[in-house]
Amino acid sequence: MKTKKVAIVGVAQTECKEKIPEYTAKELLYLTVKKLLNQLNITRQEIDFIISSSSDYWDGRGCSNVYTYDGEGAVLKEESKVEEDSAQAVAYAYARLQAEYYNTALVVSHTKVSITPSIESLTHVMSDVVYSRMFGIDELAVAAMQAALYMHKYGVTEEQISKVSVKNLGNALNNPYAHRKMKLKVEDVLQSPILAPPLRKLHCRPSSDGACAIMLASEEVAKKFTDTPVWIKGLGFCNGRHYLGEKDLIDVEALKIAAQAAYKMAGIENPLKQIGVAEICEPYASQELLWYEGLGFCGKGEGKKLIDEGITEMNGELPVNPSGGVLSTNPQVARGLIRVAEAALQVMGNAEKRQVSNVNTALAHSTHGLGGQLHTVIILGR
Amino acid sequence: MSRKVAVVGAGQTKCGRRNDVTYIELIHEAVKAAFEDANLSIKDVDVVVEGTMPAPMEGTNAPHLWHVEGAAAQNKPLIRVATCGSTGMSIAHCGYYLVASGLYDIALVIGSEKMYEGVGLTSQAVMSTVADATYERPFIGGAPPAFALQCIRYIHERNFPLEKAAEWAAMVSVRNHEAALDNPYAHIKMKITVDDVLKSRIISYPVRLLDVCPISDGACAVIFASEEKAKKITDTPAWIKGVGYCGDDSMFVDKSLVEWQSCILAVRKAYWRAGIENPLKQIDVAELYNPFTYQELLYYELFGFCGRGEAGKLVEEGIIAKDGEIAVDPSGGVLCTNPIGASGLQRVAESAHQIMGKAGKRQVSNVNVAIAHAMGGSIQFNGIMILSRDKP
Amino acid sequence: MSEKKIGTVKQTIALPYEWSMGETATKWFEELKKGKIMGTYCEGCGRVLVPARKFCPRCFIETTKWVQVSDKGVIETFTILTYEYPMQPKKPPYGVAGIKLDGADVAFLHFLGGIDFSNLEEAVKKIRIGMRVQAVWKPPEKREGNIFDIEYFKPIE
Repeated sequence: MKTKKVAIVGVAQTECKEKIPEYTAKELLYLTVKKLLNQLNITRQEIDFIISSSSDYWDGRGCSNVYTYDGEGAVLKEESKVEEDSAQAVAYAYARLQAEYYNTALVVSHTKVSITPSIESLTHVMSDVVYSRMFGIDELAVAAMQAALYMHKYGVTEEQISKVSVKNLGNALNNPYAHRKMKLKVEDVLQSPILAPPLRKLHCRPSSDGACAIMLASEEVAKKFTDTPVWIKGLGFCNGRHYLGEKDLIDVEALKIAAQAAYKMAGIENPLKQIGVAEICEPYASQELLWYEGLGFCGKGEGKKLIDEGITEMNGELPVNPSGGVLSTNPQVARGLIRVAEAALQVMGNAEKRQVSNVNTALAHSTHGLGGQLHTVIILGR
Repeated sequence: MSRKVAVVGAGQTKCGRRNDVTYIELIHEAVKAAFEDANLSIKDVDVVVEGTMPAPMEGTNAPHLWHVEGAAAQNKPLIRVATCGSTGMSIAHCGYYLVASGLYDIALVIGSEKMYEGVGLTSQAVMSTVADATYERPFIGGAPPAFALQCIRYIHERNFPLEKAAEWAAMVSVRNHEAALDNPYAHIKMKITVDDVLKSRIISYPVRLLDVCPISDGACAVIFASEEKAKKITDTPAWIKGVGYCGDDSMFVDKSLVEWQSCILAVRKAYWRAGIENPLKQIDVAELYNPFTYQELLYYELFGFCGRGEAGKLVEEGIIAKDGEIAVDPSGGVLCTNPIGASGLQRVAESAHQIMGKAGKRQVSNVNVAIAHAMGGSIQFNGIMILSRDKP
Repeated sequence: MSEKKIGTVKQTIALPYEWSMGETATKWFEELKKGKIMGTYCEGCGRVLVPARKFCPRCFIETTKWVQVSDKGVIETFTILTYEYPMQPKKPPYGVAGIKLDGADVAFLHFLGGIDFSNLEEAVKKIRIGMRVQAVWKPPEKREGNIFDIEYFKPIE
């Protein structure tokens, strides 16, 4: 059985903000999809199927895609919704495109965090109701416990964690679609209010409204849409453990498995050397360092070295999050798709001021769940 | 098809009020049953696909991350797909496409619901949030009024005398509830009469209590395997011949509820991909998604089992009975058992078992081709999977 | 067989949400408050959509014109709810209908009223698909710019 090559042939993003009250979620999606269609000079008739990504709690409505369906361009079309992780939606679309009756797919995602009570309350209800929820934990609290353990075990310092914030929020200054962009020094980060030790406000994701749309096309038709198709070379996703007591918060086994699956498919043996740029999902600055390890950019406990040595800076060996990442822009569910879009722009050479030079291969990563339970890794290349 | 895929095993739980188990234990029950059916274990699973109705129904966000232990998904690829009532079919499609693509050889697909963990009618309150708060939410009180709007419009467009339509609908109820007696997993199973149905109280006019599905807890697991693996796992795989799906506009009543485009187009796609031209002749069993009796009648017409307006004839003449030309819902369908996240997948499990000859007392004779269907959203989504004994 | 009591954990999850209506719905409700029901026109299919839509779901283009439609129309479908559930806007029994207003090309949802629903059998005799209905408005000073500025639609035959 021959595998159909699948490419990303176009991407569109909103300029994310803390609040976009002018448009409902449905309308925001419409505008983003329309932008993409206009870019590609096509109508929605050319789309064979749509994979959307959104979640009910994040939208404040049951069956979130029922409402947004029109805005996705999905009326009277085939569609399906992947919850919580929009990078996974890309993986599913890739798989579906292998069917001989499909050639094009639209992947869309949105979240308007501004309409929700807060990220804290919605991630609080992720915790298991029998044993965990009564302690009032949420995603931030778990990330804090994770960071504390990480610092304890490997001697990672507050400063090293803060360097991630400085890097990403500074990179975001070059990204017209990013929400939070700031020129900072480590001291600024260390002076921001403590939210849950050791995590401070500037170590943590903002709440953003935004949407993203990506067009996929099979080998057969990709060149109709663009001269610079970005091929999906590899993908993998993997889920870890749920119960906090049972899992080692700094164990990145699930990420390793996801990355290994993606690397194997893409023929990557030395990620640091073979990957030109990485867009990874780091809702908490400490997690970026941990994810370096799971992604095989360095060994256990060595994430701090990469940031200290500037390896993941814009001018480093493997720039991470030239877009500013999730620390700058967090429309919760859409953040995974935005990583894929940004990675694709890098390979296309269309990343404007945030372009890394000579990108042949890019990595996109997404994670969701307390402590980063489920990870998705996608490798894109020329 | 990129790669041929078959259902090699399926498991269901007893459905009803399952406050004897936690959600995770409920899921585990279905997964265990599926493993036993296929003679497989957790190590054989390459990817897990999970789906349920809105997470707020059971009060935990991103529930797939919580269900992990019951779902055999620790340190495994796991993906959550959710499309309202059609979730059970969307997850089946996802499992199918993931295996057909060559990325994974064996997919474990799990649909579940524990509706009674929403106290009282919390489930209907959550369902009312499916309707957008700006324009529609106050008028949609969960599923019954939404689909009652469709049912009454159907009666009107076909010019059926109300009493006649109600009688046909009651016959659908009688048939399904009796069939459920043969289904060890079904929730509401009983021998009733047309009169019982017509005397039951109105829930949302014109739909009566016995015209409508119950609220059920339950879980279902179905295992999809590639051709190569399927051959080693079972002598009687149920091959996926074709799938189709379609969705209508988001607002409840600004589309035709009877010349229901999403159903018509989903059927057309599935039939075309599976080579079905004469459904009545070519399909032996149809597990249709029938939470409402009148809706089942509409499906006969939209699925091409009869012409427009002839659904009553099919019921009166027993054409859709278990021993009829096409056995519709020999399991008792969604009307008798509706753990919503699982309901669409149960249609696939039942269809597969009919083909595999494992349907116990509800076995229809000589099943070569079966069609499974699920529906959901704002009178909006329809999804279909056609399975066959013969390899496509 | 004795039944072992299985323990339970309780939590009432009350999560406040505040959705933006967007510019289009905001304008629609401003007009509604003035006693005008507006629709938006799609050049692609020629349909007037009520309530207002920023874009047409079929043609996937922005609607171009705002037109006023009548506050009278026809019942396309209806039902009468008899059961209670949390967060319900009214105590049952109450009637809901899909109403196509004169000038609109699609139906929209609202309450039916001016009918005693407590006797279901009598109530359904007074309603039929195809029947003409008329909006009953809240007095102008009581309107708030939401869907209940119209209290309900009542039969007018």
